[in-house]
Amino acid sequence: MKTIKVSFRVNDETVAFQVKPYETLLETLRERIDLIGSKEACGMGACGACTVIVDGIPLRSCLVLTPEVNGASITTVEGLAKDGNLHPLQEAFMEKGAVQCGFCTSGMIMTAKALLDRNKKPTQKEVIKTMSSNICRCTGYKKIVEAVEYAASRRTSAG
Amino acid sequence: MKDDLNIVGKRVVRSDSLAKVTGRARYTADLKFPNMLVAKVLRSPLPHARILGIDLTAALKVPGVKAAISGFDTYGVKWGVFRYTQDHDMLPTDKVRYIGEDVAAVAAVDEETALEALSRIQVDYEPLPAVFEPNEAMQEGAPQIHDAYKNNINVHVHINVGDVDKAMSEAFLVREDTFKAAGEAYAMMEPYAVVASYANGFLDLWMPNAGPHVRAKALSNLLKMPLNRVRVRHINSGGAFGGRSEVSPGDLVASLLSIKAGRPVRLALSREENATSTRQVHDMIATVKTGMSKDGAIMAKDYRVIYDGGAYSSTGPIATSIPFYVYEECYRFPNVRYNGYRVFTNKGIRGMYGCHGRAFIAGNEAQMDLMGKELGMDPVDIRLKNGLTSGEVTATQSKITSCGLAETIATASERTNFKEKWTKTSKGKGIGMGCIAIMCGFPMGFRSGSSCYVKMNDDGQATLVTGLVDNGQGNESMVIQVASEILGIPMEDVNLVNADTEATNLDPGAYSQAAAFVGANAVRIACENARKKIVAIAAEKLGVKEADIDLRDRMAFSRKTPGKNMRISWVVREAFFRGDPIVATGTYFPSIDFEREWVSRPWGQMAGTFSFGTSVAEVRIDGQTGKITVPHFTAAHDCGRPINPMAVEGQMEGSIQQAGIATIMEENLWNKGFLLNPDLLEYKVPLACDMPEIETIIVSSIDPEGPFGAKEGGLTIRMNAYSAIACAVANATGTLFSELPLTPDRVLNILERKKGAKK
Amino acid sequence: MILPKFDYKKAEDIAAAIALYERSKGRACYLAGGTDLIPLLKLRLSEPSAMIDLKGIPQLKTISRKGNSLVIGPNVTLFELKNHETVKDYFPALYESLDATSCETLQMRGTIGGNILQNTRCLLYNKSLDWRTARGFCYKMGGETCNVVPNAAACFSNYCSDNALSLLSLSASVKLAGPEGERKIKLEKLFSKDGRNPFTLKPGEILTEFHIPFKRSTGAYEKLRVRNAIDYPLLGVAVSMIGGKGKVCVGGIGPAPLVYDLKDLSGAGLKEVAQQARQEARPVSNTTLSAGYRKKMVNVLTQRAIKRALKEGK
Repeated sequence: MKTIKVSFRVNDETVAFQVKPYETLLETLRERIDLIGSKEACGMGACGACTVIVDGIPLRSCLVLTPEVNGASITTVEGLAKDGNLHPLQEAFMEKGAVQCGFCTSGMIMTAKALLDRNKKPTQKEVIKTMSSNICRCTGYKKIVEAVEYAASRRTSAG
Repeated sequence: MKDDLNIVGKRVVRSDSLAKVTGRARYTADLKFPNMLVAKVLRSPLPHARILGIDLTAALKVPGVKAAISGFDTYGVKWGVFRYTQDHDMLPTDKVRYIGEDVAAVAAVDEETALEALSRIQVDYEPLPAVFEPNEAMQEGAPQIHDAYKNNINVHVHINVGDVDKAMSEAFLVREDTFKAAGEAYAMMEPYAVVASYANGFLDLWMPNAGPHVRAKALSNLLKMPLNRVRVRHINSGGAFGGRSEVSPGDLVASLLSIKAGRPVRLALSREENATSTRQVHDMIATVKTGMSKDGAIMAKDYRVIYDGGAYSSTGPIATSIPFYVYEECYRFPNVRYNGYRVFTNKGIRGMYGCHGRAFIAGNEAQMDLMGKELGMDPVDIRLKNGLTSGEVTATQSKITSCGLAETIATASERTNFKEKWTKTSKGKGIGMGCIAIMCGFPMGFRSGSSCYVKMNDDGQATLVTGLVDNGQGNESMVIQVASEILGIPMEDVNLVNADTEATNLDPGAYSQAAAFVGANAVRIACENARKKIVAIAAEKLGVKEADIDLRDRMAFSRKTPGKNMRISWVVREAFFRGDPIVATGTYFPSIDFEREWVSRPWGQMAGTFSFGTSVAEVRIDGQTGKITVPHFTAAHDCGRPINPMAVEGQMEGSIQQAGIATIMEENLWNKGFLLNPDLLEYKVPLACDMPEIETIIVSSIDPEGPFGAKEGGLTIRMNAYSAIACAVANATGTLFSELPLTPDRVLNILERKKGAKK
Repeated sequence: MILPKFDYKKAEDIAAAIALYERSKGRACYLAGGTDLIPLLKLRLSEPSAMIDLKGIPQLKTISRKGNSLVIGPNVTLFELKNHETVKDYFPALYESLDATSCETLQMRGTIGGNILQNTRCLLYNKSLDWRTARGFCYKMGGETCNVVPNAAACFSNYCSDNALSLLSLSASVKLAGPEGERKIKLEKLFSKDGRNPFTLKPGEILTEFHIPFKRSTGAYEKLRVRNAIDYPLLGVAVSMIGGKGKVCVGGIGPAPLVYDLKDLSGAGLKEVAQQARQEARPVSNTTLSAGYRKKMVNVLTQRAIKRALKEGK
């Protein structure tokens, strides 16, 4: 099978590869550029542990073919911290104790980031609805929801 | 021990969370090594069949395939937690006993090649009759799954205390009910993965595990390698919940392939394989007979519990016992008879689970409510009446040293206005309560204790070396917090080397509820020993008495004249000058009766201490659809002193999800030995939108033995949350359930039966 | 879990997509959001020679008003459609079904076309090749039997689109383009009622437009599921009413939705429709929750949906 040339921006860097046409974005991120923060927990789009943001939209990267994102701009959990400063969501997840085993954490944070990017001040109901896109087995979600709300309030108060 | 605490008891940020929120934390499937191969496993398509032959020749011819193995490449050593349960050939050569069992495997340069090679392996089977239900498997003439176990009875735990028959005949009220529950899936987010790297006679291994030392020991037996040549290394674990406690077939597969290929091998299971071919949870049927006196005291309990054990023994004797013990550690049973049978079936391998035993425990609790009601007592009073208190001894002779059970009952019921809500039920609404106790550790022979080594580095930082492992619950952060408190340095100054069998000493592991009580206690003692050395030098240098020295914020100082102080790093350097660096060890070994044995001698002190908890669930039932919603859930927990209350809350909240809400949706579905929902779509892990409003209450008590008074944190809720939900449903429907989980179809049946009974 | 081998082509317009299909000799497959298709590929339930990506075709992504219809491009995502200004006001059943579909993240990737053309599901079908090989192939996999109902002559797999039900209740029609040209059919006609191959699409046909009569309706969507997100419907009922008349659509049971006209709005009339739907629905044990229960719920949810649709109209 012929490979396909694909180029995209990931975490503000341009990358280019020859990929298999049937390669998923999750495989490309993990195997080719060692962005191992996105996890394969189900591989079938059910759980959200592989969520990354593609052109502003949160996507399950296990359901996306790499050729589909040619030319796109992608953010993974590794790209959230800027200039050595954590993203408010990362800080909030730490401070609120929203992290236990950590396997769902990247996906949770990326889902939450996409929410806060489109809705600066979501209500608790909206946060719960959005975060119901992702499965966590450890936390009971309470501290995850609290962390997202906390990050939103801090971002709003900081202007 | 220090009383004025700076760090212990505070809501600190967990030490492992930075790596996890930045995506840098490494899990097994993230590891890459030069020349690493990818492994894939060929699995049994049959529930029960004789293996006539396995031919790997064609697979080995596929270009890119570097090794292929089957059971004929092993030493034929069988795994079992106990000598008398060693029946699991992790790559079998005689028979396959469940669909999905590991039969052969290959290692190749990539996954596509490995899959291609798998398709060329030839296995000749002679299908045998299979049996899937324990009740059928116990019958005469049922297919025999292991020759050594007649009628497929794998384990029989028999406990007999007092005179049950006499007490039953004298009881004012006697009731017998049977409860069934489907087994759950652990559904840890990380599918099982192993990396094995064999070189120069040493085998290095990474895999999610709940006890590296027991894992290495098992593998050294299976591989007939000296223990020191099998090294299980530290790696993050994406959840365990009891399901990563034992050696797994994948460990053997990856090890053999790496040994054969001489290259590192990564085996990462798919979600489906993780469900069908790693451990699962026991389905069970519990018959509970209770005799009560007129004043509501339990006079006798008579139990017959059948556990669907799947194809192999695994932790059999423990799994067959634990539901009973956590219940007897909670309530007073003057007379009790327990017959627990673990029965083999042609289904996947089963292990212990954090929420193990819901049919038994929820059944007991709901039945107690019903009997209490008949006697004019509500759930609060009947639990207080029968609950154990500090200083009492359980039916099987464990002494309870510290006990906040009554406080958790009182607090949880006050906060929820329980008594009133329970008495005045309105249509479709219910409230229920569940209590339990958890042993902090259990007898594991010389592995019951933990040891820690601490060294002070020349910059004043400390390095802890401990066998303690973290499966996500926060054990690593917990011991760093303990060390930070005692050594007077911030948490970020404490480095941790842990869960590596080469570098660390024995630890009971994270599946025995002993991490806080045993593992952290060893760390405490080691750090206190190091502290003594620091204090001695500082006192000498500052010219004050040792008793006057305190350590805080990287400083050693005089309490009376704080101006007299010096950096701890100076003390450490001074110690190096003296040729006596500050290093120390600490060991904690709980006082347990080591004569105690699960089958042959089920009595004696079970654990060093016990934790307690009470859950209260409030439910609403849609009368037309049977769908339950849970608006509120309240959990009160006596965990001794919480080392990090935020982490304990997290454990409690997770338990409300995994045991509580699970009670209305989680179950493995089976059909002819096939698991029908080996995924995260049809296996229903509750989502954020399914969760109740949660209130967690930590009832602090100080355990005399625990580190800073701490005991196990969180598991009690994991073992009583289902009772609270089930009792609330019984309260709302006015009738007992017979089967868990309480999915809408089952609830509607209850409602319709009730309606029918009224007519 | 890796995908089977296939080629990837991106089409710039509909004609190019169809040409690519023809060149593949019928072995290619159209790709939109992929949320239904990619898992099927991973399970080796479909092994096409190539994916023809339709996402680069601008005309498939628009929502516009043409004459008396709202015209929706099939590549509009469920999330975009849900948040479109007219949907909530004019088509509440559709709004509710979109909102009830899976979860927000998947709504943002999944398209309305893909949602309608999703394959039917069965607990014994949506499994890995190894699992299915061990169990034996059923009708839907090209075998000679049904693994759920022994000796059944048909496939009972469930069609699990939430939104087909609401679109049917709104009398939607669809436009198709293929190697043989264009055609427009009522949405009902898209369903073959055969679980093995649930759609009447001809080889190479692309769904190009949805047409909904642009009339303000009242309506409701009721969904039976265990979890309140991510889950497919175990039963779905959509009701839309315009001017005292309406349509009731029942789905999630069997390979095609059931559609009923609602003319008699008296209590007895509503019960009759609900009862009829209950009688005609044939659930089997091929998903979670018991078949008998799902059958009972047809009656309950149908009445609920109708009552809500009526209430909203007042």
